[in-house]
Order: sequence, then structure tokens, then C-alpha cells
Amino acid sequence: MNVGPRPLFFGLLAIVCAVLLPFTPSEFRWVDWAMIVLALFWAVMLGIEEIVQARDLARRGERSSTRSR
Amino acid sequence: MPLAVVVIILVALSFDFFNGFHDAANSIATVVSTRVLTPRLAVVWAAFFNFAAFIIFGTAVASTIANDVVKQDVLSNAVIFAGLVGAIAWDLITWYLGLPTSSSHALVGGMAGAAVASAGWAALLSEGLQKIAVFIVLSPVVGLLLGFTIMVIVFWMFHRYRKVDRLNRGFRRMQLVSAAAFSLGHGANDAQKTMGVILALLIANGIVPSTAGVPLWVVLSAHTAIGLGTLFGGWRIVHTMGSRITKLNPVGGMSAELAAASTLFFTAHAGIPVSTTHTITGAIVGVGTTQRLAAVRWGVAGRVVWAWVLTIPGSFLVAWLAFQPLRWFR
Repeated sequence: MNVGPRPLFFGLLAIVCAVLLPFTPSEFRWVDWAMIVLALFWAVMLGIEEIVQARDLARRGERSSTRSR
Repeated sequence: MPLAVVVIILVALSFDFFNGFHDAANSIATVVSTRVLTPRLAVVWAAFFNFAAFIIFGTAVASTIANDVVKQDVLSNAVIFAGLVGAIAWDLITWYLGLPTSSSHALVGGMAGAAVASAGWAALLSEGLQKIAVFIVLSPVVGLLLGFTIMVIVFWMFHRYRKVDRLNRGFRRMQLVSAAAFSLGHGANDAQKTMGVILALLIANGIVPSTAGVPLWVVLSAHTAIGLGTLFGGWRIVHTMGSRITKLNPVGGMSAELAAASTLFFTAHAGIPVSTTHTITGAIVGVGTTQRLAAVRWGVAGRVVWAWVLTIPGSFLVAWLAFQPLRWFR
């Protein structure tokens, strides 16, 4: 299954924040963690949205092909 | 007060003025591009809130610039002057090229370049610079994620609402609030950088003790300078920020400004000097991403990123060069 660009983009943002973690002063690390969680949340949500949309499209395609027969 | 100190304070305030001039576009680009306000009214609106920021925010960012970038014993009139020359020259170059770069990073790069020219790499304070460097990358990412999140929440809240015209009118009014919030954040963050430079200068000349806070006259003059700079605003960058990165409607403009303002409020409170330009760029990209990635003009965003990468080395180099003739006057 192909993953679209948006989930990958948000996944990449989570990785960027994770890479910054060791360099961030300890009192501000919660900002990195909050952004990692937020980016991963959107990556998962957008991934689910794409899967659901792909299924819907496939179902519609099946219906229209049965009708045409 | 010695004449040299007065001259350098005037140069610092002119940097602040130019910062407002250069970054005015950030505060007003979205309200102008969505036609919520005419350019002239938008500039007055932003300038007022730039100035009003001194009532709400402390001076934590000023303290970081004065104490955490360069060792205090290295700071001299020549170093501070060369640092300012580096930052102003870089701002002028990028303004001429129409690039939305960061005056804040130019100032940090300029101060670091002049300090290294004066006393070598040991003059730099790695802990403070590390904090600034991390947030150079983190602040646009925070702006982007908050921009995306706010936009999605607004969609969820209003997607069943059918009276689109009334909804757009409501968001246009809300954009006045979000633009004001962003201008407050801009004033708080960027005016404080100049306050930091002036505080460092006053400490270096023994005019105030090293433990002193920022004198009120410095606070007021820095906010006045940035407010006046915004009032005379730079229009070259408005076009890039307001319409070329992604096309914005009132909802998008409001979401981007709220996201950027929240990021700037946090960083101003925490004493982290960040770029208002990069924060709003990240937020605009985040809003554009809610449509699809292709809605963001990545070529334009890429130019912003290149200017972003080059700002600190560029201003560092100009300040390093500017310091060379000043060696004779130390």
C-alpha cells in the first residue's frame, strides 16, 4: 500500500524534532516531545484518512463496474 | 554618557527601526492579502501593537542577547558596533533581494562574528548559542504544527455551517485579533533583541552593573523604534509572505497568525530569541498543508530556507570584516 506525501511529511517533522532532542536544553525538551507527539498524531490521522479514501474509491469503482455490466 | 555609546545606541535603534521596516510584512502580509485591512491601516494596526508589547512582556530575550551569546568581558564598543554593522548590512542585502530572512539571526550572527574577530572562538558562549540554534529549527516547526492543528480544529468546528459569507465575515474580524496578537509577539521578541544589545553596551561601559535589568528608557525607545519601522514598512516582502508561499483566505490567515503568535508568546516568555519571519513562514506552510502538500509553493519556501541557512554565516562574515578596521580604534 502506498503512503501519500502528507503522512510522510509529518513523520519527517517528528524525526526532525527527535534529532533536536539531545541538543535542546533540558528545561525546553518538553517542547520537542510535544511536537513529536503532535507530528506523529497527524501522520497517523492523515495515513488513516488516505486508507479510508482509497477504500471508498475502490468500492465506488466496483459498484460502477457492476452497473455497467 | 560617552559620545561613542550614544552613537552606538542610535545605530542599535536604527537596526530596530529597520527590523520593523523589514519584518512589517510578517505582521500584515496575511491581513493585506486577505483584504481584511488596506495596507496603510494594516501598517498602523501592527505598529501600535508592536509598541504596546512592552506592557505585557518582560525582558527575558534581552537578557539572553546581553548575557548568553558572547562573554561579557569580550564585549566592547567596537565589537557591538561591528556586530550591528554585520546585522544591518545583511538585512539590507536580503531586503534588496526580497528575501524574508531573520533580523534576529542576523544580529546573533553579527555579534558572534565581531566577538570572534576580537577574541577568537573562545569568546562565544556555547550554551546560549546552542539554545538559540535549536530554536532556529524548532520555532518554524512549532509554527507549522500549530498552524495545521488550529486550521483543522477550525474546520471541524465549522464544517456543518452553511452560511459561508457570514462565516468569512466573522473570520475577517477575528483576523484583526490574530494580527494584533502576532504584532504583540513580534514587538516583544524583536524589540527585546535591540534592548539586549543596548544593555550589553551599557554594561560594557560600566554605565549599569552586570546584574542590572533593562532600564525603562531602553525598553521604551526600542519599542518606539520598532513601531516606527513598522509604520514605514517594507513592501517588497509582503508579496512573498502573503501570497507566494500559499494562497490564504481569512480562516487560513487567522490560523497562521494565531499559531505564530502562540509560538512567539512562549519564546518571549522563555527568553529565547527566535525569528518572527521563520515562525510565520512555518505557520503559513502548516495552514497550506491542510489542503495538500502541493498547495504550498515549495520553490518559494525553499528560497526562504536558503536565506535561513545563510543568515548567520553571512552576517557573521560581514561583522568579522567590519571589525578589522575597528581594531585600530580599540
